Amino acid sequence: MSRLDDCYNVFDLRDAAKRRLPKAIFEFVDRSTEDEVALKNNRAAFERIKLRHRSLVDVSNRTTKTMLFGKEISMPMAIAPTGAAGLCWHEGELELAKAAAKAKIPFTLATGAMTNMEKIAREANFRLWFQLYVWKQRDLSYGLIERAKNAGFEALIVTTDTIVPPNREYNARNGFNIPFQPNVRFTLDIMKKPEWFANVLVKYLTSIGMPRNENYPPQYQRALRADPKMFDVMRQDNLNWEDVKIFRDKWPGILMLKGINRVDDALKAISYGVDGIIVSNHGGRNMDSAAATIDMLPEIAQAVGDKITVLLDSGIRRGSDVAKAVALGAKCVLTGRATLYGTAVGGEAGASKAVGIIKTELDKTMAYTGCNGIDEITTDIFFGDRARNSMVGA
Amino acid sequence: MSALDDCFNIADLREAAKRRLPKGVFEFVDRATEDHLALAANRSAFEDVKLRHRSLVDVSNRSTKTMLFGKPAALPMVIAPTGAAGLCWYRGELALAKAAAAAGIPLTLSTASMTAMETIAEQAGGRLWFQLYVWKRRDLSYQIIERAKAAGYEALIVTVDSAVPPNREYNSRNGFALPFSPNPRFLMDIARHPSWTLGVMGRYLTTIGMPKHENYPAEFQGTITSGAAGRVDAMRIDSLNWDDIARFRDMWPGVLMLKGVNRIDDSIKAIGYGVDGIIVSNHGGRNMDSAAATLDVLPEIVGAVGDKCTVIVDSGVRRGADIVKAVALGAKAVLTGRATLYGTAVAGQEGAAKAIGIIKTEMDKTMAYTGLNAVHEISTDIFYDDWRSNHY
Repeated sequence: MSRLDDCYNVFDLRDAAKRRLPKAIFEFVDRSTEDEVALKNNRAAFERIKLRHRSLVDVSNRTTKTMLFGKEISMPMAIAPTGAAGLCWHEGELELAKAAAKAKIPFTLATGAMTNMEKIAREANFRLWFQLYVWKQRDLSYGLIERAKNAGFEALIVTTDTIVPPNREYNARNGFNIPFQPNVRFTLDIMKKPEWFANVLVKYLTSIGMPRNENYPPQYQRALRADPKMFDVMRQDNLNWEDVKIFRDKWPGILMLKGINRVDDALKAISYGVDGIIVSNHGGRNMDSAAATIDMLPEIAQAVGDKITVLLDSGIRRGSDVAKAVALGAKCVLTGRATLYGTAVGGEAGASKAVGIIKTELDKTMAYTGCNGIDEITTDIFFGDRARNSMVGA
Repeated sequence: MSALDDCFNIADLREAAKRRLPKGVFEFVDRATEDHLALAANRSAFEDVKLRHRSLVDVSNRSTKTMLFGKPAALPMVIAPTGAAGLCWYRGELALAKAAAAAGIPLTLSTASMTAMETIAEQAGGRLWFQLYVWKRRDLSYQIIERAKAAGYEALIVTVDSAVPPNREYNSRNGFALPFSPNPRFLMDIARHPSWTLGVMGRYLTTIGMPKHENYPAEFQGTITSGAAGRVDAMRIDSLNWDDIARFRDMWPGVLMLKGVNRIDDSIKAIGYGVDGIIVSNHGGRNMDSAAATLDVLPEIVGAVGDKCTVIVDSGVRRGADIVKAVALGAKAVLTGRATLYGTAVAGQEGAAKAIGIIKTEMDKTMAYTGLNAVHEISTDIFYDDWRSNHY
């Protein structure tokens, strides 16, 4: 706990996570792809946007609460799907989901998670979203959709920006891969972090065995060190709009596409009856030349208007980032790394800390800019026009 | 003394202050908030403005003197309100006030200062301004205003950019907070700085005792270690609004200023409420880390208010050239916070005088190079090309 007490922002949580996790796992969470240009640019784009104080507005009754898909949440933030929460902490997804439920924000469970969705639904039920990677053998994906429906998940998020496995060179360098290939380098790495070994890996080994992708179809639900040939089954480079049509028919709840970066794709999503799109470059983890999501957001938000709910992720580390995204038309942001760092440091308590830090920062930004409610956050609080903002320091 | 002799600019004074002060106190003065983006933006905005030499103008009779609210000042600079001068030096506010009076520039005393406003008025003299944090219990603030009026303060500055306590993570990390909570980390820090411990804290303890917030209302005037029950809630200021300004205007016959105005609409509104001056400020980058650089915000605000209101700017002034740039863009004066505090921390009144002197000399040289004999001659005519093209 004292470790958490020393963390005052998400960057502190990151440093603490770095000390605790085996290097390979930390880098899997923390790094992105190739030269990490997209990762840096995501951050820089937020930092370039400058705001103005508004003076003398009584903000003593301000609130970060907002409505999303017709229901209230405590702030415009949801937990992004991430595959590694279960490696950051024993049953990390459950810890993170519990923190989200307590904070009254939605939690997205990834297809690649290591805790099964039924257990999450039983133990951490606030608003649960399920993220879907679509596989070559579509029946398997349909099976997953049925499971999510039966478990009572509110939304289905189809990831559309991961056509091919990304170039994450550092994973190969670290000897880290999912499925686990426990080579000499990774084993040595683990030995340097005995606390992680004892509190995460040993707990799995003495209970359920090697952690597995609990939400994969049964015939592929092997332990993480399973046969890498599985990747052929998981190929998704033929995913297309026809699939979205089928998902729309199969899924009566909220349907979102994650990784929309173009106006034409956004408009198409509306015509396919999609409820929400997430402007995302996968945290800079897929295509290193991807534009910053906060730079792409305005044209997409303007093009779709009120016809679809726009969300954004990739690069959120501070509460002010949330305010900037909302000002530019996002109804909500997703945090991946920020809340994973917290999970890695203190499980549910750490995840709660991360959410709390960002919420406090958002609250302060609202107070300084004179906004009492989320719907009052507009580009009126920006300094100058956006084009000029984004050039400052460029 | 030798410490001061080795200081040739504000950056040197900063280094010397860093050596002398406990880390908790130094960082409270020196750092800003969150990722220090606003602090960096403030500085780079000044540095990005490029000037041109003007040749062959006789500048042998130049002067940095100017008029501010109808009275002379030796240069267009004023000491900003800061809460920590009394921690940088034994009775630091008084030392700073004496230096300002001797230099012929106004001093602003902060609500959070540790020397009573009456003491400053009696012992330092000069042009005195008082900065007000408004509290939830408005009557407490009204008492303070009456005190400032009775003590003969020329101006009242209402801070309007601090709706909520800022995110200054380093203070928590350093175990530094006001009121002091003497935790192990900060005590270790103090132990490593014996000259400060003896010269500042020791002198307080052997004379007036632990310093207090002498300008707080009596019921909240705890020492800086004890605080006072209920103070945190009583000091909440997130309900501050324009009705309060109307009230202050009624109560305060002198010069009334708002500090932390960053928007055209707020500036126009200030004029409507009979405010005499607005200070374009982001609190030295100490409150909202996404805040735009004040020098960038200044021109449009000056353009909007014209001569109807006196515009002053602060946040980032470290060199005399910065004052020239701010004046060229329409500011009638600048405020310095950190720059003069560094000097105070190194050598009290003498150090503060040194900081003012350095900036004045630099400003004088900038005027000479750009061919200007008087402050009213400073305009964007001395800027290289369109100044905005410099910046972007």
